[in-house]
Amino acid sequence: MNLNFEKFQKTNLGLKKLNDLRSLSFKKFETLGFPTRRQENWKYTDLKNIISNNFSDLQIIENQKESKFNSKFLIKNFEHNRIVLLNGHFIEKNLSFEDQKKINIKSLNTALKSEKDFDEIKNYFNDDDNSMISLNHAFVNDGIIIDVDDKYLFNKPLIIYNLFDKVVENKIINNKVFISLGKGSSLNLVDFYKSEHNIKFFNNTVHNYTIKKNSILKKFSINSSIDSSYNYNSTKIKSYSNSIFENFILSLGPNFIKNEIHCNLLEKFSSCFVNGIMLLTGNQHHELKTNINHKFENCKSSQLVKSVLLDNSNGTYQGKIYVDKCAQKTNGYQLSKALVLSEGSGFNSKPELEIYADDVKCSHGSTTGNIDENSIFYLMSRGLTKDQANKMIVEGFLNEVIETITEPSIKRLVAELFIERINKVNL
Amino acid sequence: MLDISNLSASIEGKNILKNFNLKIKTGEVHAIMGPNGSGKSTLANVLSGKKGYKIEGKAFFEGEDILNTPIEERAQKGIFLAFQYPTEIPGVNTNNFLKTSLNTIRKSKGLKEIDTLEFLKLVKEKSKKLKIEEKILSRQLNVGFSGGEKKKNEILQMTILEPKLGILDETDSGLDIDALRVVSDGVNSLRNKNRSFLIITHYQRLLDYIKPDFVHVLVDGNIVKTGSSNLAHELEKDGYEGVTSAK
Repeated sequence: MNLNFEKFQKTNLGLKKLNDLRSLSFKKFETLGFPTRRQENWKYTDLKNIISNNFSDLQIIENQKESKFNSKFLIKNFEHNRIVLLNGHFIEKNLSFEDQKKINIKSLNTALKSEKDFDEIKNYFNDDDNSMISLNHAFVNDGIIIDVDDKYLFNKPLIIYNLFDKVVENKIINNKVFISLGKGSSLNLVDFYKSEHNIKFFNNTVHNYTIKKNSILKKFSINSSIDSSYNYNSTKIKSYSNSIFENFILSLGPNFIKNEIHCNLLEKFSSCFVNGIMLLTGNQHHELKTNINHKFENCKSSQLVKSVLLDNSNGTYQGKIYVDKCAQKTNGYQLSKALVLSEGSGFNSKPELEIYADDVKCSHGSTTGNIDENSIFYLMSRGLTKDQANKMIVEGFLNEVIETITEPSIKRLVAELFIERINKVNL
Repeated sequence: MLDISNLSASIEGKNILKNFNLKIKTGEVHAIMGPNGSGKSTLANVLSGKKGYKIEGKAFFEGEDILNTPIEERAQKGIFLAFQYPTEIPGVNTNNFLKTSLNTIRKSKGLKEIDTLEFLKLVKEKSKKLKIEEKILSRQLNVGFSGGEKKKNEILQMTILEPKLGILDETDSGLDIDALRVVSDGVNSLRNKNRSFLIITHYQRLLDYIKPDFVHVLVDGNIVKTGSSNLAHELEKDGYEGVTSAK
C-alpha cells in the first residue's frame, strides 16, 4: 500500500485551514490504520485484513482528467434528474424536471478552494475515532454539496450516479456528499452505484445530511450489479422537528460494502426508517450498521433488514437504538431476519438497545435460520420443483422489505433490479 | 385410480399406518373418519410425498406406484392435498403462486402455459362460483388469513388445478357453516365420473353436504369398518368405540 500523503498535499495545495485539517487527519489515520476486529464497530469486518488480502498496492486516485462517462449506464424508462460522479468526481448535473433556482448544487472540489464555502463545511472535518473518516478528511478532493430551498418539493427523483471506470483500478477514492433540505422541502434520492469494469477499487464516501423542520428525505441506496468494488459509506444525519428520513438499501452486488448510518433525531416528531435487503453469493461480505440516536421526545425510528446468504458469503447487521434520558415517548423498532443457506456462509447480528428514558416503546428481534421445510412441501405439493419453491420463498422473504417502499416508481425500479439479480442466483 | 396395499408408515420409530389397504375407483368419493392419532393425516402426507416417514408397501395411482415419486410429480400427475394447516408463506403473492403452480402442471402435461390475463379471468370465474372474495388472492399466501380463508383458499386452488384425486385433510375442522358450504360446494362442483376424492374428517357434518360413496373407520393405523354414508351417522351417535366394538 502506498498512500503518499506528501505527494497528495503538493498536488492539492489549497486553503491553509484545509491543509492543516488534512495533515491532522492523516496523522490520525497513520496512528490508527485501517480498522480491525479489535474495534467494537468492526468486530465482524476486519477491514485491515480485507484490504491486505485484496489489494497489494492500493493507491490514492489522482485528479480527474476524464469527464466523459458511459451513458449506457443511465437508467431508462424512469423519469429522473441526475448528478453524475465519475470515479468520485462531480462531472455533470441535469435537473431538467425542477425549478433550478431552488436547488443549489456545487462541486466539493470548487467549494474546497473557496474560503467562504469551506467555512460552511469545515466543522464536518472534525471527527471521532473512525480512521476511515480521518482517511477521507485527509484525501478528499471532490464530491457534491446539494442545498434545497425551503418549501421546494422535487417533482421527480434525483439519481446520483456513482460510476467507475478502469482508471480506479487498485485506487482508493475519498469523497463527500453534503445534502441540506430546507424547511418543508422534499427529495427522493437514488444513490446508484455502477462499475464499468470488473476491477478492484475502494470507494470511501462520507455523507452528511441535514433534514430541516417538516422536510422529507427518502434515499434509496442501490448496489445491484455484481462487481469487485469495496465500499465504505458513513452517513450522518441531523433530523429536525417533524422531519422524515427514510433509507432503503439494496445490498446485492459488490464484493464488499459496509454502510454505516448514524441518525440523530434532534427535535420532536422527527423520524427515521432504515430498511434493507442483502442477497449475497460467492465471497461477498456486506455489513449494515445503524445507530439511531433518539435525542428528543416523541420521535420514531424503525429498521427492517432481511438477508439471504449463500456460498461463502458473509452478512452482518449491527443495529443500535440509543434513547437519551430526555427522549420520552420514543417509539423504536428493529427487526433482522436472515436465511443462511449454505455451510460456508454466515450472518452476524448484533442488536443493541441503550435506553435512559423511562417512558419509551422499543423492541428488537433477530432470527437466523434456514428455509422452512413445511413451506417447501406446500409449494411442491402444488407441482413446483424444489428449485422453484426455494426461489419463490427466498424472493418472497426479501420482497417483503421491497414492499415497504412508499414511492411506486422507485419500488418498481428496485423490484426490477432485484429480480434481475435473483434470477442469476443459484438457489 | 388409487390402490393402496399393505402400506405401513412410521415416524421417529412410531408405527402409524399398519398394513393399510384401500382402493378408490375413478369417480368415487371415500371418507375416512377416525379418532385423533389414528393415522388420518399421515395417510394424506404419505400420499402427497411429505418427507420424514419410513414407508413400506405400495400405493398405485393410475397403475403406477407413486411412493418413490417426487412430491411435485405427484401433483403434476393429478394428486392434490388440501392441507389441514395451510402454510403461511410471507412475501409470496397468492395469485403469482397459483399461476406458477397451474403453469407447471400444465407444462408437465404438454399444455400451453396460460398468460396473466387468462389466468386472472379463470380465477375470477372460479372464485365467483365458490363465493370466495377475490381480494384474498392478491394478498401474501395464507399470511394473516383466518382459518376459514385458508381452507377456502385450498378449495379454490383445487378448483383451479382440477386434480384427478383430491385429498382433503380435515378441511372442515374449525369452519363455520358458511365456510363449510364453500368447501362442500367446491367438492361437489368438481365431482364427476373422472375424478375421485379422499375426504378425511372428524365429523359427520361435512358428509351431510358431500355424500360419500364409502365411509371407512380408521383406528390405530388400520381400517376397521367400512360402510355407506350412513356409517357416519352411526359414528356420530355411538362414537368410534361403540361402532368398532360392535363389529
